[in-house]
Amino acid sequence: MNIEQAKEIVISAINTALEGKAEITEDMQLIGGESLLDSMRLVEVCLALEDLADEHGFEFDWTSEAAMSKSRSMFRSVGALAEEFANQSEV
Amino acid sequence: MIIVTGASRGLGQAITERLIERGEEVIGLARNTSGLNINAIECDVSDYASVKNASKEVKRMKKPVKAFINAAGVASMNMAVTTNESTVQKLIQTNLVGTIYCCQLFAPIMLRQKQGSFINFSTIAVALALKGESVYAASKAGVESFSRTFAREMADFNVRVNCIAPGPIRTDLLRGITDAQIGKITSQQVIQKQFQKSDVCDLVELLLDEKATSLSGQVLNVGGV
Repeated sequence: MNIEQAKEIVISAINTALEGKAEITEDMQLIGGESLLDSMRLVEVCLALEDLADEHGFEFDWTSEAAMSKSRSMFRSVGALAEEFANQSEV
Repeated sequence: MIIVTGASRGLGQAITERLIERGEEVIGLARNTSGLNINAIECDVSDYASVKNASKEVKRMKKPVKAFINAAGVASMNMAVTTNESTVQKLIQTNLVGTIYCCQLFAPIMLRQKQGSFINFSTIAVALALKGESVYAASKAGVESFSRTFAREMADFNVRVNCIAPGPIRTDLLRGITDAQIGKITSQQVIQKQFQKSDVCDLVELLLDEKATSLSGQVLNVGGV
């Protein structure tokens, strides 16, 4: 999966979680004070991405070290999450 | 199905047997599954990669998980000053860190279902501050604290988290403890008697019952404190 496809999938999942109520940009934060997603919605996004990964024939692991580490967390932005999603599709 | 850690011995084994008796499908997690007569997955709860592998295996089964019971544990009855470093590490790593690993890595299955129940194990030694159990009690106090907070994190997803805190139940963990020592402990309980594994199994059934859906973030001290 290339990064553009991954971005499309990630943005679609976030859009569903936010019920289309916000414009989603690549640099939008997914954790921290400025995030539009509360913890419950973030989990819903992750579960949706698990399903979408399954459809594309790979396992998406959002409990990985990369997800948990604050400095390089894949939740630091929409773009970072898409990048990690694309990376995991190649493993 | 219901997942039970420490399913090869002690309380975990008793709980597994009780649940199978009542017709539940149980998956036992144990470090050594050879000779076990149940559906089991080899798993060392103190090892993150091992727990992660077990959670992946369960996820691939694509079956609803009704409950996860963290019964694996180790004990050491010693004063802090006579507990060696490796024992301290082992108590914390297995009892506390192991419980955390299992909860965090199996939670996504229940989050997806928006249903489920975690039952973790503490000890009455926490509430009674029992002399000679400082490190063991500290590991279990951590389990209680983790469980109470984790319960709040899971509540939005209709997942409940509770602890059972038994007193001195006759299992391998109490090897070498005399009846007199047990009597000293039970005399501090509200109900001053030694409870059995079957009493703990009854509490597990109680927490799994549909009528217990209002219980979360609680510590049930067996015998009362």
